[in-house]
Amino acid sequence: MSQSKDIQFDGLYAHELTVSRSEQILLEDADLHLAPSTITYLYGENGAGKTSLMRCLAGLLPSDQGSIYWNKQPINHPDSSYFQDLIFLAHSLSMKNELTIAENLSFYANLRLKGGISQQSLSKQISDVLLELGIGGLENRMFAELSAGQQHKVALARLILEPAKIWILDEPFVNLDQKTRGWLAAKTLEFKNNGGVVLFTSHHHIDELPVDQKVGVEHE
Amino acid sequence: MAKAWRWFHQLGSPKYLFQKTGQWLPWVWAATLILLAVGLYYSLWASPIEVRQGQGHTVRIMYVHVPAAALSMIAYIAMAIAATVGLVWKMKMAFAVVRSIAPVGAAMTFLALFTGSVWGKPTWGTWWEWDARMTSELLLLFLYLGYIALHASFSDRSKADKAGAILAIVGVINIPIIYFSVKWWNTLHQGYSVTEKGALDPAFQTPLFLMLGAIYLLFAALVLMRLRAEIILRNQKSRWVKEWASGSEVKS
Amino acid sequence: MILTLLKRELKVARRNWIGLAIPLLFFIIVVSLFPFAVSPEAPVLQKLAPGVIWVAALLAMLLSLEQFYRSDYQDGSLEQLLLMSSPTSVALSKILAHWLLTGLPLVVLSPLLGVLMQINHGFAHADHTWVLMLTLVLGTPTLCLLGAVGMSLTLAASRNGLLVSILIIPLYVPVLIFGASTVTASLENMRYNGELAILGAFLLIAIVFAPFASGRALKISVG
Repeated sequence: MSQSKDIQFDGLYAHELTVSRSEQILLEDADLHLAPSTITYLYGENGAGKTSLMRCLAGLLPSDQGSIYWNKQPINHPDSSYFQDLIFLAHSLSMKNELTIAENLSFYANLRLKGGISQQSLSKQISDVLLELGIGGLENRMFAELSAGQQHKVALARLILEPAKIWILDEPFVNLDQKTRGWLAAKTLEFKNNGGVVLFTSHHHIDELPVDQKVGVEHE
Repeated sequence: MAKAWRWFHQLGSPKYLFQKTGQWLPWVWAATLILLAVGLYYSLWASPIEVRQGQGHTVRIMYVHVPAAALSMIAYIAMAIAATVGLVWKMKMAFAVVRSIAPVGAAMTFLALFTGSVWGKPTWGTWWEWDARMTSELLLLFLYLGYIALHASFSDRSKADKAGAILAIVGVINIPIIYFSVKWWNTLHQGYSVTEKGALDPAFQTPLFLMLGAIYLLFAALVLMRLRAEIILRNQKSRWVKEWASGSEVKS
Repeated sequence: MILTLLKRELKVARRNWIGLAIPLLFFIIVVSLFPFAVSPEAPVLQKLAPGVIWVAALLAMLLSLEQFYRSDYQDGSLEQLLLMSSPTSVALSKILAHWLLTGLPLVVLSPLLGVLMQINHGFAHADHTWVLMLTLVLGTPTLCLLGAVGMSLTLAASRNGLLVSILIIPLYVPVLIFGASTVTASLENMRYNGELAILGAFLLIAIVFAPFASGRALKISVG
């Protein structure tokens, strides 16, 4: 394990990262720097390991070698604020079918904010963001009752409800209508301009979102 | 100390481990066969039959039963130690060791149960007695089979290794608890106890110790062979394995 | 954290109550088979009662393990939980919720099974029912804790349904031995404090090790 003292990079910095999945090496000795106020587009073919790389950067998939730093500190250091600062939206929407939209969203918000918000203002925020997303008034509907597109929007609402400094988004634009794509692009830009770090994948080029950095993952 | 550490780290390299085990294996086999031949000669011909309890020739089963039973426990503990090394120091070869021990340990446990049963029939008049030791041994067999089943249920070997390692450690914490509980339960129900009181007659000691040594060595030889197979399986894609498979020697 | 998660678990369970009711129903039905299979005579049933009720409770706990981490693993919320808090505390709160939803109802239902199995037969002022409940109060959390370890180990495995039973049953044996024999001792008018203390000791050991082991296993399954 290398020391954190010689790391000069703010934001997320992966050093000599080797990631493998089912004994297939996806990434070898890669350095990656996601600076504050940047949007990084991660591209690559299906199965090339985009999701694995994201899961590794999110600390879910252990890397074979190398270290990941958040603001010059290893992400698994006890003092690191990384997991407090990170929102990772995966393919699976991570919502419970048995709960309503409001219950699902406030569960995650409460978990992150640790009760630092009144339930009243939280439910106000939830209805506001649902309105923006065009699913206003559905707060008390069961998650299972929504269409796939609506469910996806609910998952995106977490980005607004939970304060964060880094977003790692796996295919956030997939299955979104034109209007929501515009909304997500605008929110992402706003987040970036406030110093946020963004890493996202997408099948198609997103016209609405100017990116600062492109990173490719390829088959060997 | 520094030297010991370096050696420990070198063992983590598949190629080094494969080379070293390849060098050890013939010697281990040679020692096993010699000790086994002498041990079997003593235990089958050159030792007296039991007369005090009227067991006669069946006492000879002991020379296999006792070593197998002793090994079955020690093998599980060895598995747990290797599993800890693998999880704490992230040493992948340690997981290969765990995986290599499991089937051999399970076989020893089965052997202990089987010989115990065969010995039990003439001695107690029954194939199976819910004796504390035999019951613990049976549960130990389940623990081994659980590990093997768990390891076989993953498509991703590194997940299988880590999950199996945790199970081995949880199992080893439970072994004394299981043993204590079963013993307590056994006295409660006043079942048989095979525990021999008093010292073993010296005439029985020589073949028993010889066989203990022989079965330990046999275990080591089998585990080393399995370990080498595991190393090859796990490193199919590396160049040295391909070269080895095409018939050339493994050089450092 | 634990409280937030606990609330969510209870809410989900309330809307998915049938999944939790099935193991309980199984608990009752299995026990009610014994009079048919063995004998409806009270003394016979009474002698079998501790063992039968305990084995049924153990099997019901095994059945309910399916409800444990599985749906959280499948819908991705498990990895979100692991991102937001330590694996041990995720495991601990899931275990707590699971015991409240399965272990506790078993304890509450056990007097009914005591009646079915004639546990107080021949005793005018007997408190065997209380002893039975007490053993289940001390024993079922241990079963939950060990079950959590087994379940988190098999989440990412292919044939997980029966696999977890094979891993866990040998570990359940000590709890079964002391749980059932406490009740038997009470039926035989013997002291059973020692047995209860040992059940408590098992619980303490399991509380120390199991949430940590389960948390580690969760990380592995998700990774």
